[in-house]
Amino acid sequence: MNIIACVKQVPDTEAQIKVKADGSGIDEGGIKWVMNPYDEFGVEEALRLKEKFGGEVTIVCLGPARAMETIRTALAMGADKGIHIDDPALYEADSYATAEALAAAIKGLPYDIIFCGQRAIDDDSGQVGSILAELLGIPVVTMVTKLEVEGNSAKATRPIEGAQLVISTSLPCVITATKGLNEPRYASLPGIMKAKKKPVDIKNAAALGVSGASKAKVVKFVPPPARPPGKIICADDTPEGKAAELVKLLREEAKVI
Amino acid sequence: MGNLLVNTRDQQFVLFEQLKIEDLFKTERFKDFTKEDLLMILNEAEKMAVEVIAPTLKEGDKQGCRFENGKVYVPDCYHAAYKTYCEAGWIAAAEDPEVGGQGIPASVQFANMELFGAANYAFCMYPGLTHGAAGLIKNYGTEEQKNKYMYKLYSGEWAGTMCLTEPGAGSDVGALKTSAKRLPDGKFLITGTKIFISSGDHNLTPNIIHPVLARIEGDPPGTKGISIFIVPKYRVNDDGSLGEFNDVVTGGIEHKMGIKGSATATLNFGENGNCIGELLGKEREGMRIMFQMMNEARLGTGMQGLDLGSAAFEHAVAYAKERIQGKAIWEMNNPDAKSVAIINHPDIRRKLMWMKCHVEGLRSLCYFTAYCIDRMHVAETPEEKEKWEGFLNLLTPIVKAYTTDKGLLICSTAIDVYGGYGYCQEYPVEQYLRDEKIAQIYEGTNGIQALDLVGRKLAQRKGANVMNMAMLIQQNIARAKGVPELGKYAAILEEAANACFDLTMYFAQVGKSGDFLIPILYACKFLEIFGDVLLGHFLIDGACVANEKLQAIYEEKKAYSIGQKKALEREDKEAAFYSGRIASAKFFANEILTTVKARCDAIKAGEKVPLEITDEAFTY
Ligand SMILES: Cc1cc2nc3c(=O)[nH]c(=O)nc-3n(C[C@H](O)[C@H](O)[C@H](O)COP(=O)(O)OP(=O)(O)OC[C@H]3O[C@@H](n4cnc5c(N)ncnc54)[C@H](O)[C@@H]3O)c2cc1C
Repeated sequence: MNIIACVKQVPDTEAQIKVKADGSGIDEGGIKWVMNPYDEFGVEEALRLKEKFGGEVTIVCLGPARAMETIRTALAMGADKGIHIDDPALYEADSYATAEALAAAIKGLPYDIIFCGQRAIDDDSGQVGSILAELLGIPVVTMVTKLEVEGNSAKATRPIEGAQLVISTSLPCVITATKGLNEPRYASLPGIMKAKKKPVDIKNAAALGVSGASKAKVVKFVPPPARPPGKIICADDTPEGKAAELVKLLREEAKVI
Repeated sequence: MGNLLVNTRDQQFVLFEQLKIEDLFKTERFKDFTKEDLLMILNEAEKMAVEVIAPTLKEGDKQGCRFENGKVYVPDCYHAAYKTYCEAGWIAAAEDPEVGGQGIPASVQFANMELFGAANYAFCMYPGLTHGAAGLIKNYGTEEQKNKYMYKLYSGEWAGTMCLTEPGAGSDVGALKTSAKRLPDGKFLITGTKIFISSGDHNLTPNIIHPVLARIEGDPPGTKGISIFIVPKYRVNDDGSLGEFNDVVTGGIEHKMGIKGSATATLNFGENGNCIGELLGKEREGMRIMFQMMNEARLGTGMQGLDLGSAAFEHAVAYAKERIQGKAIWEMNNPDAKSVAIINHPDIRRKLMWMKCHVEGLRSLCYFTAYCIDRMHVAETPEEKEKWEGFLNLLTPIVKAYTTDKGLLICSTAIDVYGGYGYCQEYPVEQYLRDEKIAQIYEGTNGIQALDLVGRKLAQRKGANVMNMAMLIQQNIARAKGVPELGKYAAILEEAANACFDLTMYFAQVGKSGDFLIPILYACKFLEIFGDVLLGHFLIDGACVANEKLQAIYEEKKAYSIGQKKALEREDKEAAFYSGRIASAKFFANEILTTVKARCDAIKAGEKVPLEITDEAFTY
């Protein structure tokens, strides 16, 4: 089975994000970079399929030089090889341009199933997986929490409000992974050392035949307004008194009830 | 915010900027490594520590170990964590690939261990002892013994221990009574009771391999007559499968102040006359062989002081920034002033500074000691090897005792920073203190370590090890004196180092003249002085490195006035980090090193009050 897992390098959830003074982006100084957590679920599922059916897992990643760390992490977890799309023309790529580059890199490869995270935790757009499927002309199931592959088809479970949807699809397809799909493994030490010898192909936009042109353009980064200080209710020390004060404030000051 | 366990930036500083371990990659042994590989390994270690091990800290303490119907159970939450830890290959990380390891530098493995130990030291004792036991078999075992036991230990499939202590043989191992009787097939029948055996029995693994010190019948008393045996809990068949129970009966487990998740067992070997042991190495070489494991375990125990001290410090800083209490000192007389976070109070700042400089200094000391092991491995000449091995030997009792003594004080100071909350179980710092205390006692009490230092290590190789260390410190002083920002502090270090090495000479002299009572009486005090001087050395050495980098950042960012520099530190994490390392060196020099000479003089005064007082006069 040929399995592809797309991964993105994003700032650690704990990182304190500062917007650059000129609003052109975020200040990358001192940020710790990690594999997008939803992509980790995808990589883990890819490895499990490989363990079950045999075959190869290829990691595809778009990002600057530092993103190589993330590819190496996936290789250390057990993936077999990587493709690193690294081109300054693509550093500000929107979801479409990203998917287009991924599709171009994947097109020439044999694949039965492609994993993406359901969204990246940095820009939260949640579109790349679906656009990628569209560009490759294959089906996509998003937000998958359970996957069963059999022969030439797969059964994927995704949550919908108050219920679970079970969708069956033919292969090849794109699956976007979300929490619940699995528990990603830790890279083992032997895995880290072996990863050094695994091949990673570095490709630029020209090699892939894409222009890198985005359909959307980021005009400006603006930090969210500072949160006004909280209010401690202590008018009267009984729970009843506090509740009455809270209701009063919600109605008269916050005007939400 | 960091991981609340270990400042990983400081780890990288010590490894790559202070020790410059990248130089190791030029050698055959480490030629396959790059800095990126090691950063990735450290990153994985941090993940393992934070996500897998740390969640077992509180629960492991609460549930503790249980002894039921003759069986020992570890805290439930340890099982999954142990499996994940072993599967990732951490036990053998620094071992050669031939035995299933990855051959990473010992200095990096110490950094990994610091993360793991800070997450939960009690948990780490199971894989830690397993690693030590495997190492004994690697170095002294026959091929058959290696095949039978070693690989399964390094992979964590089975666990290991070290069995020295008996009711009548604690500090004085030579007094042990466990006996070994020759069997016709060359194996031995083991009989005796070992107490306080860490990981002595548990349900983490299907088998436990005990290296046991015992005396073969007819061999002389004392340490000279001791041999070492491999005694499995279950015998192992030739095909590697588990055989019969080997009559290692667990008498019970201790109820302890801390490390409650680590089972401390009494083991009765051969209660039914059916416990079989295999000789490891040669007869009557048990002490020498076990010392290999003990030296490793002593460094590991020293690390316990750093691990828990680091976690306590990181927690204390975070708490001090959050806890609002009292008004700022400059607003003392203003009734309308707002209360501030306690980090604004001078006394809290001084406490945090005291903790910070000790944690950072200890980190440099411990990693340097591990780096000596790496240097030994790659030495090109016998002289060079001897030099690094000499450092290692000299530093082992200091790392064990000084680091754990200071570690305990750091944990205690963290509780002080928290105030009453620190004393309560809602916060982790009280557990750090409880878990830390044992480190001063086991692996040879700190009192015994001090005797090892003054009685053996100082004089080893005719004092060459101490001389080499003195030279290293002198070079550093000479360099630091040339740095305008540090010259004053280098001079303080110089005075302290001179006093310390003077005292060392004095000990050598009185020792030669047969009057060793003063060195023995003041051994612990001497060890502390030596440790202080080493810490001062490593801190000032670190400050020289940090200062260079900081000046470059100032230059680049055009920060010239004090105001501009402070503003830069608030913005630029790297600038703040380097400035913090310099602050540590300055504070330590003034707070600690200035007292060294007076303490040396007090020892030289030759007072023997504790020896002269009668036993009756101690109390009424
Ligand atoms: C939780 C725990 C885990 C342990 N794990 C292990 C283990 O895995 N394996 C193992 O073999 N042992 C283990 N031990 C035993 C431990 O190493 C001993 O407790 C320790 O060596 C001290 O021995 P003791 O308790 O008999 O104290 P003692 O030897 O009775 O010492 C009491 C005091 O007298 C001092 N003293 C003794 N002799 C001298 C001397 N000659 N000069 C100056 N001072 C002296 C000591 O420093 C100490 O302060 C463990 C103990 C504990 C509590």
